[in-house]
Amino acid sequence: MADHWGFVLAAYGLAAVVLLAYWRWLVARDRELQGAARSRVAPVSGHPRSEHASRHPVQ
Amino acid sequence: MVRVVGGVTLAALAAGLVMGFGVAPREATQGNVQRIMYLHVPSVWVAYLAFAVVLAASIAYLARRAEAADRLAHASAEVGVLFTGLTIATGSIWGKPTWGTWWTWDARLTSVSILFVMYLGYLLLRGMIEDRERGARYAAVLGIVAAFNIPLVHFSVYWWRTLHQPPSLMKPGPGTMPGIIVAALLVNFVAFSLLYVYFVAKRVGLLRREAEAAL
Repeated sequence: MADHWGFVLAAYGLAAVVLLAYWRWLVARDRELQGAARSRVAPVSGHPRSEHASRHPVQ
Repeated sequence: MVRVVGGVTLAALAAGLVMGFGVAPREATQGNVQRIMYLHVPSVWVAYLAFAVVLAASIAYLARRAEAADRLAHASAEVGVLFTGLTIATGSIWGKPTWGTWWTWDARLTSVSILFVMYLGYLLLRGMIEDRERGARYAAVLGIVAAFNIPLVHFSVYWWRTLHQPPSLMKPGPGTMPGIIVAALLVNFVAFSLLYVYFVAKRVGLLRREAEAAL
């Protein structure tokens, strides 16, 4: 029987792409959450306003 | 710890490739296309493992309402769907040169597709329900019900007349495969199992942090 290397490459290539894409998504989500956590801990101004002061005056 | 598992997994995957392409011989009947087996069979093994973990974690969640169990079930289902998709795709690629068709409504192929759709539904259900506790409860019930399909998939090749061959390794009795092929397959089983552990550990960590951020 012929070896069909093209099919072998297609199967392994597809698996590599799918698994790598999932891993990259996990890493990107990890960074996203790290960034969000950092911005919660350290506000940009350095002087966090009280909840009352941060409310819109119209409210 | 997760990083260490990641490093070991990478090394194991490299060893699996060496075993599958460098050490294992060319199969006499199918030729080199049979090397897809070192990818296809470990993928379905990981899918079985992942859904068995979903079953256990779902039971644990319903019994104790432990959020950690729910997160484990969620992460495991996601990784299981990924590997079931890979199993179907690589099986189809292997099927074309050996059976002459990409797809046939054979009992094994159909039952594994149903398994894939059921766990895809499980993930959709989780995403659809906003109330976390209720979503987790419904998902746990579905995680238990869907697991009944796993033995159906595995034994479908015995219970019905199928184009798909019966298992060569995960079956009772003495094996018929040459030792070197079994060894290559086992190395890939280990590598894929480690990849499963790595993905699930990373995903569980993300789910925990997502839950903390939502509070």
